[in-house]
Amino acid sequence: MTQAEIKLCSLLLQEHFGEIVEKIGVHLIRTGSQPLRVIAHDTGTSLDQVKKALCVLIQHNLVIYQVHKRGVVEYEAQCNRVLRMLRYPRYIYTAKTLYSDTGELIVEELLLNGKMTMSAVVKKVADRLTETMEDGKTMDYAEVSNTFVRLVDTHFVQRCPLVPATENSDTGPPPPAPTLVVSEKDMYLVPKLSLIGKGKRRRSSDEDATGEPKAKRPKQTTDNKEPIPDDGIYWQANLDRFHQHFRDQAIVSAVANRMDQTSSEIVRTMLRMSEVTTPSGAPFTQPLSSNEIFRSLPVGYNISKQVLDQYLTLLADDPLEFVGKSGDSGGGMYVINLHKALGSLATATLESVVQERFGSRCARIFRLVLQKKHLEQKQVEDFAMIPAKEAKDMLYKMLSENFISLQVGCL
Amino acid sequence: MNIINSFVPRIIELCHQFPHGITDQVIQNEMHIEAQQRAVAINRLLSMGQLDLLRSNTGLLYRIKDSQNAGKMKGSDNQEKLVYQIIEDAGNKGIWSRDIRYKSNLPLTEINKILKNLESKKLIKAVKSVAASKKKVYMLYNLQPDRSVTGGAWYSDQDFESEFVEVLNQQCFKFLQTKAETARESKQNPMIQRNSSFASSHEVWKYICELGISKVELSMEDIETILNTLIYDGKVEMTIIAAKEGTVGSVDGHMKLYRAVSPIIPPTGLVRAPCGLCPVFDDCHEGGEISPSNCIYMTEWLEF
Repeated sequence: MTQAEIKLCSLLLQEHFGEIVEKIGVHLIRTGSQPLRVIAHDTGTSLDQVKKALCVLIQHNLVIYQVHKRGVVEYEAQCNRVLRMLRYPRYIYTAKTLYSDTGELIVEELLLNGKMTMSAVVKKVADRLTETMEDGKTMDYAEVSNTFVRLVDTHFVQRCPLVPATENSDTGPPPPAPTLVVSEKDMYLVPKLSLIGKGKRRRSSDEDATGEPKAKRPKQTTDNKEPIPDDGIYWQANLDRFHQHFRDQAIVSAVANRMDQTSSEIVRTMLRMSEVTTPSGAPFTQPLSSNEIFRSLPVGYNISKQVLDQYLTLLADDPLEFVGKSGDSGGGMYVINLHKALGSLATATLESVVQERFGSRCARIFRLVLQKKHLEQKQVEDFAMIPAKEAKDMLYKMLSENFISLQVGCL
Repeated sequence: MNIINSFVPRIIELCHQFPHGITDQVIQNEMHIEAQQRAVAINRLLSMGQLDLLRSNTGLLYRIKDSQNAGKMKGSDNQEKLVYQIIEDAGNKGIWSRDIRYKSNLPLTEINKILKNLESKKLIKAVKSVAASKKKVYMLYNLQPDRSVTGGAWYSDQDFESEFVEVLNQQCFKFLQTKAETARESKQNPMIQRNSSFASSHEVWKYICELGISKVELSMEDIETILNTLIYDGKVEMTIIAAKEGTVGSVDGHMKLYRAVSPIIPPTGLVRAPCGLCPVFDDCHEGGEISPSNCIYMTEWLEF
């Protein structure tokens, strides 16, 4: 971790959780994984406070723990996960665009609390929505539940790993730290809950604790003494899914810029169909047949099957190579070439930086060297058609800022 | 001596018989003279400038010298002839004076004198090379210098015509852009739209020639180098298709098609914030003289 990253993590932890958590968190980021007592000793904080801080960090998935041999439990901070906190507003905004205010608040609650049960989320969100509605109207739990289920179906929200239910409890002393597991098929399984109720308006007389959101377990409200039906089943926001969504958006807008609106809609449809079937690191989406794509196009998009086929052929033939044809059954099988798309987007970003920072002629040289891999000074001048003196100037400027490197060949 | 004089015309006759050159062996077979006498005769012919001495892989060859050349070189001595030979061998690429020195093993002062002599006799000329502006290469007077020396269509008198190239660059791009726009607005089915937005290098070449902005005649390859710079600018993309031999503009069964395109991403986030373009990016850190909190660019940018 670089100094700048550690500093940033420190500022984030302080702003969200306060000084003590910040001290423990930064210490762990700096020193790697450590057991409880060592943390307490090195940071000079009491054991009790260290425990509380670790609770907060674990609740928010910022620290993980591992049982080492000889029964020692070590805690490790996830610096990258801390940096993701910068993206919380973007995740919340995405949920808003997809699932409107209800979705926005659900994701916000989950991000701010780390892990929550479904019933707690539904209740909290219903209350908040009721606050914003006109007098006399309330938000029904059912509506919030529906949105929650939709978020789970599209994998934006997932189940947290939990302690596996063991049948036999006499296998010796319990382990020092539980190992949490969640099975693939349970990850997005919503328990059958019947949440009935309506949001309650917060009366001005009873104020909840406002200010920094407390990351402790969801508080039991005083007027509800019934046991929570889904106790033990906690949910968290699935950040990778959001990242996948951003990736899809970037690909669609690139296609729109290069081709036209219709082509980008087709690509958007294909990506939507592959959302939950394709793992996030895969190089290609699952093959989709032209018939399937035709059926899944958004309602109201009237293009005939023939026109769709033409667009698909054009997409597959385009030098961009974002879409590939993988077979002929079902009217033609098409895949989206994710790795190629991401590579092209990355290259375009680099070129954009060079263009804005150094000017369009430098950008020409940069693209040229990028395409041809190795070039001599003279070749650069010839291909880019830039006079020798200027070309030399530009190459050395980019060399000094480490955008281009020099390789000495043998004579 | 008289005997030797009588050999000379015989040797010349033999040389005329075998214009590609004769070896010592041939002379020996024909004339049955002693080696020493043969050597004297040959030397005399060489000094009179009537024979050329060449080395082949079998030995020495004597060749009758071209009478026209023989006339030209009258009055020049052997050294000049040697230098002239070297320059002639260099063809239309020319040869640098230092290289002449290596090949002939003559001292620099001699070389310079000889070169001046030859230039004044209008047998050779000096051409400035674009690769190194101080370097002069020498070639025969009536030869056209090769493209690598003069630079071709983009150089006039050793100066790279960057304005000319810029103008051509912009014109080609405008042509392709207009073509793509008309294709888009025609609202035909997508296949036709796409195909009509392409232009072959031949089409672009014809357009530029008709525009008449170039005083130098440009070939299709020249236009293709300009179009390549547009590709490196990210404004144009190229595809190669197979074309039947004989289709206008096809080279070796291929045709290059070009199309104006727009960039796939808008200027990226990092450079839209002041930090991406900041000249003192590396010196900036919290607590230092240059820091985000006291950055004037940042303040200005945030006050939108």
